[in-house]
Amino acid sequence: MTASKTAFDPASAAARGLAHCHFCAQVQPVAHAHCARCHAALHLRKPHSLQRTLALTLGAMLLYLPANLLPVLNVESSVKGNQQNTILSGVIQFWQDGDYPVALIIFTASIVIPIAKIISILILCRAAQTGRRPSAMTRLHRITDFVGRWSMVDVFVVAILVGVVQLGTVMTVTPGGGAFAFAAVVILTMLAAHSFDPRLIWDAAARRLNTASHRNRPDGAA
Amino acid sequence: MDSAPILPSPTLACHDCDALYTAPAVAEGEKIICARCGARLFARWPNALQRATALVCASAWFFVLANIFPFLSLQAEYRESGMVLGGTVSGLEEHGFPLLGALVGVFMLGAPTLIIGGLLYVLVPLFHHRRLPGAGRLYRAILEARRWNMVEVYLLGVLVSLLKLGKLATLSLGTSFWAFVGLIVCLTAALSAIDHRELWSKMEGASR
Ligand SMILES: [Zn+2]
Ligand SMILES: [Zn+2]
Repeated sequence: MTASKTAFDPASAAARGLAHCHFCAQVQPVAHAHCARCHAALHLRKPHSLQRTLALTLGAMLLYLPANLLPVLNVESSVKGNQQNTILSGVIQFWQDGDYPVALIIFTASIVIPIAKIISILILCRAAQTGRRPSAMTRLHRITDFVGRWSMVDVFVVAILVGVVQLGTVMTVTPGGGAFAFAAVVILTMLAAHSFDPRLIWDAAARRLNTASHRNRPDGAA
Repeated sequence: MDSAPILPSPTLACHDCDALYTAPAVAEGEKIICARCGARLFARWPNALQRATALVCASAWFFVLANIFPFLSLQAEYRESGMVLGGTVSGLEEHGFPLLGALVGVFMLGAPTLIIGGLLYVLVPLFHHRRLPGAGRLYRAILEARRWNMVEVYLLGVLVSLLKLGKLATLSLGTSFWAFVGLIVCLTAALSAIDHRELWSKMEGASR
């Protein structure tokens, strides 16, 4: 820990070698390795937070294409013929049918939130290096972490339609490959947001302050 | 700086920005917000554990009801098909998406089962000042499972599906649907009522 001592804000728990237990919130010396109260492993920061977050986000970005290009739902109807719905065509169909609130819900949950989430995770990873605007960035992380689960709504819609519509000859509904890719995108972005440690932003902010105030001193941190 | 850390006890560190505080005395009904980043560090509700236990019991009851009655039924051209709550999982499995079915199962059945069952196992013995084996590890698993509990997202999915199918067929909501709504309300309230610090200190004080 000696090498990275200057990396932590003097007011922070980590600068004193104290770790906050992720599970029971007990504060104790990190040298203990395991929490005295709940036995969880203790870390000053989530291990390999940035690498993990970036790897998971990259995976989500790669799967985002098949999630949007492949159909999420196949409808075979003896009356209306066969139909393949992608996420976007589903939204457009709701809109054309005049179901504006539903179109907006699906558009927000399935298109806006995943993209916004990927972008904000990338912004957060950058902020963990620059240390700019730590308060706003912490808030961004909180929102990103909270909102991600709601993207799963389209996967549930597919599951419910498949489960309920088994009308034999009249109509069959089957899931498409896009549903699987989309579920994977949502899970990967949720894991990415969870792997990110917002305290890294505060560490970087403290380093920034440190270098700014010690710039002219030979023994300054850098 | 190099001397051994001196712990003002009890200490409080912000989980979002790592600011260190000496924990103030918190009265019932109060909460502590991090002065630096605004994160909620600690909230203490009046009779938190009693309240949480009652709500978890109600959630368990609603969850059982939600699983035994029909969830949705659909009528179109003299045909009727019904679905139970688990039908979304088995439907996906039958159509060759077992992994997707399993994921949906984890999000809407597995996670709530673990949370409700686990909380009963942890909370109820505390009223007799007892702690059952594995309660600490189980509570850690519950904290992890909370993120994957998506019952309220599933409910939004049900509402969207109703609108999607409403034009093709007549849909009716079963008893299970209303039990599921009750489950969401009670489980959300239970999880927000639980006070981690109070729970852990009670567990520490309880005999095994
Ligand atoms: Zn702990
Ligand atoms: Zn804070």
